[in-house]
Amino acid sequence: MESIKEMNIFKMTTPNKTPPGADPKQLERTGTVREIGSQAVWSLSSCKPEPGIGFRTLHLPGFGVDQLRDDNLETYWQSDGSQPHLVNIQFRRKTTVKTLCIYADYKSDESYTPSKISVRVGNNFHNLQEIRQLELVEPSGWIHVPLTDNHKKPTRTFMIQIAVLANHQNGRDTHMRQIKIYTPVEESSIGKFPRCTTIDFMMYRSIR
Amino acid sequence: MTVLQEPVQAAIWQALNHYAYRDAVFLAERLYAEVHSEEALFLLATCYYRSGKAYKAYRLLKGHSCTTPQCKYLLAKCCVDLSKLAEGEQILSGGVFNKQKSHDDIVTEFGDSACFTLSLLGHVYCKTDRLAKGSECYQKSLSLNPFLWSPFESLCEIGEKPDPDQTFKLTSIQNFSNCLPNSCTTLVSNHSLSHRQPETVLTETPQDTIELNRLNLESSNSKYSLNTDSSYIDSAVISPDTVPLGTGTSILSKQVQNKPKTGRSLLGGPAALSPLTPSFGILPLETPSPGDGSYLQNYTNTPSVIDVPSTGAPTKKSVARIGQTGTKSVFSQSGNSREVTPILVAQTQSSGPQTSTTPQVLSPTITSPPNALPRRSSRLFTSDSSTTKENSKKLKMKFPPKIPNRKTKSKTNKGGITQPNINDSLEITKLDSSIISEGKISTFTPQIQAFNLQKAAAGLMSLLREMGKGYLALCSYNCKEAINILSHLPSHHYNTGWVLCQIGRAYFELSEYMQAERIFSEVRRIENYRVEGMEIYSTTLWHLQKDVALSVLSKDLTDMDKNSPEAWCAAGNCFSLQREHDIAIKFFQRAIQVDPNYAYAYTLLGHEFVLTEELDKALACFRNAIRVNPRHYNAWYGLGMIYYKQEKFSLAEMHFQKALDINPQSSVLLCHIGVVQHALKKSEKALDTLNKAIVIDPKNPLCKFHRASVLFANEKYKSALQELEELKQIVPKESLVYFLIGKVYKKLGQTHLALMNFSWAMDLDPKGANNQIKEAIDKRYLPDDEEPITQEEQIMGTDESQESSMTDADDTQLHAAESDEF
Repeated sequence: MESIKEMNIFKMTTPNKTPPGADPKQLERTGTVREIGSQAVWSLSSCKPEPGIGFRTLHLPGFGVDQLRDDNLETYWQSDGSQPHLVNIQFRRKTTVKTLCIYADYKSDESYTPSKISVRVGNNFHNLQEIRQLELVEPSGWIHVPLTDNHKKPTRTFMIQIAVLANHQNGRDTHMRQIKIYTPVEESSIGKFPRCTTIDFMMYRSIR
Repeated sequence: MTVLQEPVQAAIWQALNHYAYRDAVFLAERLYAEVHSEEALFLLATCYYRSGKAYKAYRLLKGHSCTTPQCKYLLAKCCVDLSKLAEGEQILSGGVFNKQKSHDDIVTEFGDSACFTLSLLGHVYCKTDRLAKGSECYQKSLSLNPFLWSPFESLCEIGEKPDPDQTFKLTSIQNFSNCLPNSCTTLVSNHSLSHRQPETVLTETPQDTIELNRLNLESSNSKYSLNTDSSYIDSAVISPDTVPLGTGTSILSKQVQNKPKTGRSLLGGPAALSPLTPSFGILPLETPSPGDGSYLQNYTNTPSVIDVPSTGAPTKKSVARIGQTGTKSVFSQSGNSREVTPILVAQTQSSGPQTSTTPQVLSPTITSPPNALPRRSSRLFTSDSSTTKENSKKLKMKFPPKIPNRKTKSKTNKGGITQPNINDSLEITKLDSSIISEGKISTFTPQIQAFNLQKAAAGLMSLLREMGKGYLALCSYNCKEAINILSHLPSHHYNTGWVLCQIGRAYFELSEYMQAERIFSEVRRIENYRVEGMEIYSTTLWHLQKDVALSVLSKDLTDMDKNSPEAWCAAGNCFSLQREHDIAIKFFQRAIQVDPNYAYAYTLLGHEFVLTEELDKALACFRNAIRVNPRHYNAWYGLGMIYYKQEKFSLAEMHFQKALDINPQSSVLLCHIGVVQHALKKSEKALDTLNKAIVIDPKNPLCKFHRASVLFANEKYKSALQELEELKQIVPKESLVYFLIGKVYKKLGQTHLALMNFSWAMDLDPKGANNQIKEAIDKRYLPDDEEPITQEEQIMGTDESQESSMTDADDTQLHAAESDEF
């Protein structure tokens, strides 16, 4: 019974699987963006407690923020509550954000894989507004969510909330393996020009 | 007890000189527990300090009253090391509350070590921001001892302009021989000093060797000289662990081997023999091969020649040998510099016999001072016979060994000059022949010796002058001059880490990073253990974006020395280039942690915080850098940069100007000032500034680019185009140039040319890092195409505002410049 259902879904969804995006590390290397997740305070609506809570000395990994931010695609956050599952990212100051990258892997997480995600921004919990909603179909890899407005201008915000509205196969809890947030990097040189491209030019750009 | 003390001291010194600090400390603790004298205290503190535990020495000395200058100096040194500056100052100069000692007081109190004391005091003054006083101290220190380099360096670094010609010169040979004892720290074996210095001579005159033992505790003034004198006798008799007796030749050969070896390493090879170089400490005759037969021959032959007329030479020799064995430990007592142990051994040996084994011979010379003529000759003699001594000191100061030269010299001149000398000063020759030993031949030709000595010193001085000029030029950021001066140093000095590092830094300051990299990689090749200056190298590689070389460098440095800020700066730069700013920040913080007085680490950290847009922290870092070193112009620049980012342009200009005051030759700085002036709507001034920058460095493409953009903003399209065409010749692959050309053409209404240049700009942007360009092209091109001219004003206006909001906010200035016309 279950396998048939799975088959159906499989058939239904195969044609337009969400394609994986580029590794955000490559983005970072270009120097046009910078990861700023570490500057934010992260919180979750719920998470599965650490296994063996009585045996803390074993130091088993949990399923919380640490795993969401540890740069390790093997570990993940697992929610433990009712939908929507929320990830709240609060900055100390109004911050320019350009791109959000989420790593999801349907092959490993199956029904835990999110299928419908909403991204909201605002000053605080009470005035969040949705700026993106995306449907994922069996994603396996990085999903790049641009946070630019209609004019391709990056958003400036105090807070970002990522809400998992639904999972694949109507799964209840969700897995997210990594989330990264990028801000555009301003040229460190003087004069508001686009980035220069040759080292000959760049050498004279600044004193260090 | 007193009898026992000497060998113990000798053993301690010997342990110290063999880097056996644990043994030294243990013994010194025992000795101190036993006798509880200030001398033992000082010895113990020295052991602590040398084993790298300044805090132990500090607490130990602090807990006891220190009356002797040596103790005071050591305590002050510890204070400075532990950054208890006020306390250190109080110890040295009497502190802020009491009446401060004048420099002359310090000179009288500290005697020979006054130059070091003053240098230390100058350091304290500079650290506490009393630069005028600090500079005074440094200058005084240099005038006392022109062989010191670090006070000169410090003077240059605080922005003084000491005249190297005035600083590094010897007024007379007396000066020279005076500064030699000065150069060694206080406890240097004073038996050679004693010849020269009346007061010590006085105390020594009545002694014979046995008395020395008893006297040494009582005599307070020349305690050290006494100790050393007596101790080697003691140890010669008592300590069995010194060089075995009776094997004169083996000792000799050992010495011989020692000397040339060190000579070689200090000299930097046979290149030193080149007649054109201002060589010192070596004469062309010297055979370069160390420790081989030729040396030994020199040694063994010459004495035998001279031995013939002398009486009872063999017995004297054997006596001398006892002296040698003794001096071995003496030396260990007297020698303060760790690095030249063997040399000192070799040399004190020859002076040993005079004082210890043949007191009756010595007494004539010592008593001679009263009458003038003998005084002179004895002076000559002493300056001579103690050449061995002086050599040892010179060696400490990187003097190549003197002895071989002397030998060869005396050998060659034997026939001619020795005779008259003997006639001139019978006393001396008598003395010499009577106490003749292997190292003593030189005394036959005192004049020549003195002459050689003077020549050697003059050679060193002329070298120091040149280096001083170069360093001074570098510190005043006359980089081209500095390169010029330093490049003209003799090749064996040029090819050393220090000189090359200075040249590399000069190229670095000129923004000639390719050259700088070449020089620094040479430094790495010849001195792969060098850490100083490598932070500049790492920044050079950062500018050149050579990530592989940078990562190799940082790995090697951090593996080698984890306690050096330079290594961590290199590591930070490495990660900064990889854009892993968080890790870079950690490493720069570590650099500060290992050395909080290292200004450059603060600056680099500040730059990193700028990149992560934590501007407040960045400001704090740059200010810290300036606190540590007010002449660190990079930090002033960093502050200006932050204010520029915050669009506080006048503040930015002010800070850039501050940086420029320190480094007036920097085209990059001038370029920045030009841009800021433009932002302040002082376009004429901006153009002037940029022109000045281009005059200083015609190769700086950014100056030309900014000049073009200022011209463009001022609607001087033709001249802007011309500028950009020239720029294309310098950097043919820079997309920005084509981007700006496209904009100019667009303004001139030549749409097709504009488009062509825009698309070139796109093509030259391999990583697609600038989607701004693409956006700019689309946005710029489309409206222009169709809009009728009459409507353009309004539409362009709205278009611009839209556009600037769309692009990454990077483009705003040009847009602003554009919309200015409407």
